[in-house]
Amino acid sequence: MPNTGGISVDIELTINGERTTVEAGSADDLATVLRQHGYIGVKCGCDGGTCGASKVFVDGEVRMACGMAPREADGSEIRTVAALGTQDDLHPVQQAFVDNFAVQCGFCIPGMIIQAVALLDSNPDPSEREVREALSDNVCRCTGYQKPVEAVLDAAGRMRGEQSVAADGGQPASGPPQPGESAGCCGGGCDE
Amino acid sequence: MSEDDEPAKPDGGTASQSDPVEDERSEEHPLEWDEPENNDKAPDERDSVSHRAEKYDDRKLVTGQAKYTADYEERYPDLAYAAVVRSEIPHGRVTDIDTSTAEAMDGVEAVLTPESDAVPDAKYTSAGQSYPEPSPWDMHVLNEHVRYIGDPVAAVAAEDRATANAAVEAIEVSYEEDDYVTDPEAAFDSDAPQLFEDDEVENEIVGHDYNRNRMAHIEGELGDVDAALDGDAHVHETEWETIRQSHANVEKHTALAYTNEDDRHVLITSTQVPNHTRRQLAHLFDIPIRDIRVTKPRVGGGFGGKQAMVVEPIPLALSLATDRPVLYEASRQEEFYAMRSRHPMKVRTRTAVTDDGDIEAIDIYALSNTGAYGSHGMTVAGNVGSKPLPLYSKVPNVHFEADIVHTNTPQTGAMRGYGAPQGTLALEGHLDEVARDLGLDPIEFRRRHHMEVGDLDEIAGMMGGEGANRRIRSCGLSECIERGKEAIGYDDLEQPDADHLHRGIGMALSAQGTGVAGDELGAAQIMMNEDGSFHLQVGGVDIGTGADTAFLQIAAEVLGCDEDDIIVKSSDTDVTPFDYGAYASSTTYISGMAVKKAAEDAKERILDWGSKLLDEPVENLETGDGTVYSENSGDSVTLEEIGYEAAYGDDEREHILGKGTHCTEESPPPFAAQFVDVTVDEETGEFEVHKLVVAVDCGVAINPGMAEGQIEGANHMSYEMAVSEGITLDDEGRAEVSDFDEYGLPSATETPPIESILVETHEPTGPFGAKSVAEVPTNTVPPALSNAVRDAVGVRIREMPITAEKIRAKLDERGG
Repeated sequence: MPNTGGISVDIELTINGERTTVEAGSADDLATVLRQHGYIGVKCGCDGGTCGASKVFVDGEVRMACGMAPREADGSEIRTVAALGTQDDLHPVQQAFVDNFAVQCGFCIPGMIIQAVALLDSNPDPSEREVREALSDNVCRCTGYQKPVEAVLDAAGRMRGEQSVAADGGQPASGPPQPGESAGCCGGGCDE
Repeated sequence: MSEDDEPAKPDGGTASQSDPVEDERSEEHPLEWDEPENNDKAPDERDSVSHRAEKYDDRKLVTGQAKYTADYEERYPDLAYAAVVRSEIPHGRVTDIDTSTAEAMDGVEAVLTPESDAVPDAKYTSAGQSYPEPSPWDMHVLNEHVRYIGDPVAAVAAEDRATANAAVEAIEVSYEEDDYVTDPEAAFDSDAPQLFEDDEVENEIVGHDYNRNRMAHIEGELGDVDAALDGDAHVHETEWETIRQSHANVEKHTALAYTNEDDRHVLITSTQVPNHTRRQLAHLFDIPIRDIRVTKPRVGGGFGGKQAMVVEPIPLALSLATDRPVLYEASRQEEFYAMRSRHPMKVRTRTAVTDDGDIEAIDIYALSNTGAYGSHGMTVAGNVGSKPLPLYSKVPNVHFEADIVHTNTPQTGAMRGYGAPQGTLALEGHLDEVARDLGLDPIEFRRRHHMEVGDLDEIAGMMGGEGANRRIRSCGLSECIERGKEAIGYDDLEQPDADHLHRGIGMALSAQGTGVAGDELGAAQIMMNEDGSFHLQVGGVDIGTGADTAFLQIAAEVLGCDEDDIIVKSSDTDVTPFDYGAYASSTTYISGMAVKKAAEDAKERILDWGSKLLDEPVENLETGDGTVYSENSGDSVTLEEIGYEAAYGDDEREHILGKGTHCTEESPPPFAAQFVDVTVDEETGEFEVHKLVVAVDCGVAINPGMAEGQIEGANHMSYEMAVSEGITLDDEGRAEVSDFDEYGLPSATETPPIESILVETHEPTGPFGAKSVAEVPTNTVPPALSNAVRDAVGVRIREMPITAEKIRAKLDERGG
């Protein structure tokens, strides 16, 4: 339940395309509020703003939701990892993470995928170094970052319409992206 | 340790007809293994095994739909939240706990102290091990005698997290302070402040001497090391030191407890050891095992930190006290100071080596700092010797000894590698130094001595307990070295143009085990549905490793169906068969073999039904492509047709079930050869690691993509041990790290590219030839980087982490 501490406020948000009013306790951060409304792909791995697992898009910008007061997000449009693709129709970045075995425990993965999508939105053809820099404030304990970096480079190729490279010998995915699945801050699903 | 056996032969102890001792050993540990024909499949005969099957839970994970423990919050509208009051002094007695302000706060449901009825009095160990645990029962859920800054003293349940945290702040604890000691060498002094009286511990461990803060002492010997050290050979002695490393699992320790409508006490928890946790909770709370249900959802990483009942008693006690579901999620700060960490150690290595480079003797001594409590203390220290030393199984004289001492510092525990990283540093760094001193090529020196197929390893078993004598039936070390050398570019290394920059390559070998020899149990059950699909119920614990997927691939290989046709349910003690849990590199080997046996059991029934429907003898039939087919007639019947016939047929009916249970005395080592490419600036000591290459022999990789991921993640953890400070402590033993930004976990930009190489061998005792993979690459970067720096600029760093300052100081020392 909300961390009331006596006071709570109503906040207007558009979350993954749905307009909603949420109750936020004065001690709550945005990650807590989103999680309480079922957006469990927003993860909390630290005591605030140091692991990157809670990354979401707030009005198109990547933010760590755990480091943000709900009031600060009032009126904004939030997109979580759940908006990028569905299990049957993954976003190319999600698909590349699966195909490249970039996911182990998966706890840091939503934040990493959000960050990767943002990177490819602004830089469709990043170097390995640029991918590493983009992921540098996402803590991952499982992978040593090797396969996530390969997955982002692979996704970049897919989104540019190149044949999947399935960087590390993973199963090649189907060819160029389908219409509607092309690059965008959230995989073509948002208004930008 | 075997007292009357002759020392191992320099030739590796392979069987010789004229030697009765060898004959006896060969009988007890034969090279040949009675392997079922279907276990050894050529790559082109494998349908599912060694394919890059999609990880079972990945689609849920990448879309943020997968549920970890804290994600069950929304299911329980009356959920209360726990928070813990922890000791702020390093050592002393609680004299008073003033809970009045906290109890008066709105939203506070319960405040528990050591005296509360709901809090168990019993002693226990948090170590998630077999029964009785090889760890002392020296802990209490809440403590009056506190032994480190972080010891739990009181617990709160409240309506929301903020209120729980505020209540913790409002609780006043008074202490009578005792003297404390944080340095392990000082703690070992008989005048040092003493952490335990003898009557404060049950289930004590061999060699304990609480007057000197020693929780255990272990020792084992083959041959006569002292005689060899006193002989003509060169004696080398080196000392090494390792860091206190945090598991840094991104999902914090989290557990949710409630009592359900059937009066069953349910724990949803982020654990590696559901069955051990159930047994330990039963012991603590005096509740029958059958009345406790421990269930593990997705787990956000364990690495050994969750091979322990670290948090579960807190929410269970609070739930019993409040009659409400209670969630306890540790804070990240608690993760760093009050959960578990890797044992920091000082390790001394001595060898006797002849002019010709023959190793006559190896002696290792480890002083392990177990912190305030002894969980995993003895067994981790044992593995300092028993994991790396067998690499050189031909060495005739081997001695290992360890003291494990208490200090008033945070608790240690199991961590990936489990003592092997500390031992591998001390052995592989040492042997590199010996080779260079004798003018030998360090790689060739290793090649002359390392373990080979046919060797009888008596080192792993010389201390008893965790290890056992074993015959080596698979070993890809030579190929690991060869392919690693090639990948790192060993033979054509280019030096930088600038005179002050020097490039070097370091190498280190490693061996681990696969399960605890003779002390594991896994079990599985498979049920066939009428549509030809299956439910696999398995006790094995997937903590993010991909174990569920490996189980599916093993089952699918036997049943001849797609992995998609199998639903896996793992790690729910009410539903899934028994399992020791995810540790000791055992899951694929032990639980995976149980799955294979269960699938074979089910397959026998399926073939029987196929025989009826095809009117062909079972001997002619095989499963494949979702059918049973006749190799004679070419006729086939689908698994779906068999499923319906078995469930709804006119004459006979049967629910097709298979069960499998597996335990073994075997624990075959996987192997790794690590290479590190570094450039060092001799003016500043600064260094850049260009690449990590690690070649691993894990037998047959059930899923090569997942196996590579395990290797790369382990190598990252190993790299951290080489270059990061770990959890540093102040003079009172207080952790100086409270969040990720203060902890030196190498980020994506700080981590060098990691090239993982799978060297396939066939391990006849493992499912389809598999042995373990996930721990062995954790052991190798500290020695390989130390060796690489030595190769580049000629100085040796023995105390981890390796830093520019230390290299600079050594260079200055040499220059002066």
